[in-house]
Amino acid sequence: MEVADHKAPTLENGQLADENADVLQFMDSMDAYFTLLHSLSSTLRQGWLELASARHSMGAYRVNTVLLDHTSHSAATTLLVTQDEGKVDSVEPRFTLCKWGSSSNEKFLGEKQSSQDQLHPQLRHRGSTQLSEEKTSSENKASCEIDDQVQKGRSKSLSVFGTLVSPKLRSAQLSFETALETLVEMANARSEMLYAFDKVDKKLGDGKE
Amino acid sequence: MAGRVQIPTNNSALIAMIADEDTVVGFLLAGVGNVDLRRKTNYLIVDSKTTVKQIEEAFKEFTTRTDIAVVLISQYVANMVRFLVDSYNKPIPAILEIPSKNHPYDPAHDSILSRVKHLFSTESVASRH
Repeated sequence: MEVADHKAPTLENGQLADENADVLQFMDSMDAYFTLLHSLSSTLRQGWLELASARHSMGAYRVNTVLLDHTSHSAATTLLVTQDEGKVDSVEPRFTLCKWGSSSNEKFLGEKQSSQDQLHPQLRHRGSTQLSEEKTSSENKASCEIDDQVQKGRSKSLSVFGTLVSPKLRSAQLSFETALETLVEMANARSEMLYAFDKVDKKLGDGKE
Repeated sequence: MAGRVQIPTNNSALIAMIADEDTVVGFLLAGVGNVDLRRKTNYLIVDSKTTVKQIEEAFKEFTTRTDIAVVLISQYVANMVRFLVDSYNKPIPAILEIPSKNHPYDPAHDSILSRVKHLFSTESVASRH
């Protein structure tokens, strides 16, 4: 009898703690969404200003949508979409930005590195210092290759507006890249907010019944 | 798990845009522009000559394409097709309303925030007590 009496308040406390955790998660994700939105507004304003400056220095006819490339081409900056496996009953997608083909580049260089390791296994017996130096050197080389790829992507994107472009146009490009990063974070915050909202809303609905 | 909806994994999904010229040009500079073999783009530039019907068609097209994961739409454009945006409730593509150069962002009109704000209404709070 005493055991049953003690169990009921414990269960209620547990449920209350779960509900509070869900509400907190919802509030946190909404706060994150608003913070990111504020940051996005600021970044976009900077980008628009830089674009306007570029148009002023290069001329309106040179920074114009008429010049956009309408031939078939793939986007250089894409998204990786996965499902958040951490949440059992969730349909929450997870977005990762791949700028200028960066994640596919890293994967390619990782595969290249592991194939080189397989070709030269004797390096492992030479001593840890030499091995770590060679590893750092190969990592630096990989990083340089990725940077080259990114720079090529940026230059190709800018070349739509001519060979010589204003530094303001380059700055605008970087600002909009930053805006993209913020937008992807916003997309993830939105997913979390909707997931937390669904949980809270469901419990509120169960409570009313 | 039975009944669990699966999000299709995509390692090169696109970002679509329905926005003013400067916003679209800026994001195209960042490399998100895509033109397929049928010359279909992943963006619509909205200006004074763009009709509501064109915006509706672009929104419907982008939200049904399987290669698009996020749709960016300027909030003032979303206000023109508010009924469409508010009735959309799929996880992918995610719809993000963004500010535009001449129209600052208003959280009261955001479709996601409108959906969740009823949690803070007095009726909702009172019904729990």
